[in-house]
Amino acid sequence: MTANHLYTYGIIEQEDVEFDIDGVEEADRAYTVDHRTLSAVVSDIDALEPEQSDANLRAHDEVLGEIMNSKGGRTVVPMRFGMVFKGAGPLKNVLRGSRSVLSRTLRDIEGTVEMGLKLVAEEGATINREAVREDVAERLADVSVEEAENGRFSDRLVVNRSYLVDRDRREEFDAAIEGVEDEYGESTIVRYTGPWAPYNFVDLEIGVDR
Amino acid sequence: MTFVLDDLLINPWISLARVLQSTAIREAYDVEAIQDDIKENQLLYEIGERSEEEYRERREELELELEVAEQARENLSGRVEVKR
Repeated sequence: MTANHLYTYGIIEQEDVEFDIDGVEEADRAYTVDHRTLSAVVSDIDALEPEQSDANLRAHDEVLGEIMNSKGGRTVVPMRFGMVFKGAGPLKNVLRGSRSVLSRTLRDIEGTVEMGLKLVAEEGATINREAVREDVAERLADVSVEEAENGRFSDRLVVNRSYLVDRDRREEFDAAIEGVEDEYGESTIVRYTGPWAPYNFVDLEIGVDR
Repeated sequence: MTFVLDDLLINPWISLARVLQSTAIREAYDVEAIQDDIKENQLLYEIGERSEEEYRERREELELELEVAEQARENLSGRVEVKR
């Protein structure tokens, strides 16, 4: 018997969407559940607490990527991994209760994507870390909307930031990253990733009334 | 050090033992440090400095350490007061 729970990937402006996926817990179809101006992108799931396995985390990200990058690019408020509702009713209740904050967030991040940048020191390299951080921040400030500092969880990490970038300015941002690579590519490994859903720029606490 | 002195004035031996024990627990079961090691392991794999096999082995070790540390913290919380 199927449990009929709903795994939620993210929230978009109201739109009927349905597409094939390699989703969380091997779900093969994503579709939308609407409340007025909002749609939650979901797939069916049996478990209430899916395992945080590599495969599931990757699936969550890939479905968000598919939503963001199809149909000329959508704006999506990403849900963190593991948001499961017992059915459409409880999910709609959350959409109803959070409608104003979700709508405002969608407006705030409209037309943007998140890009990640890490500079990892080559082993044994001598680097003026503070100067590198300042220079990189300066190079990218004008071509991004906002930046978020992420944790420097390793001694090797010189820079670990996320950038909110307008889709329309991606080429400029990419060019600025090339400048960073030219300047610091010998002393550091430059790891540039994305586009991601703007996880680091959406700060929402949504009550889960499953 | 004020808290140590205050405690020592009240009950020198028990308080000192408690402070030392608290410090040891914090160091042995440092959940945040293990989480950082997990992220670093992932990073070194992504930049090609660790093979997939090395990465997986290390991750298994760290996940086990994390589980033990979280469990230990949970079991000990309430029994040992960690003073800062």
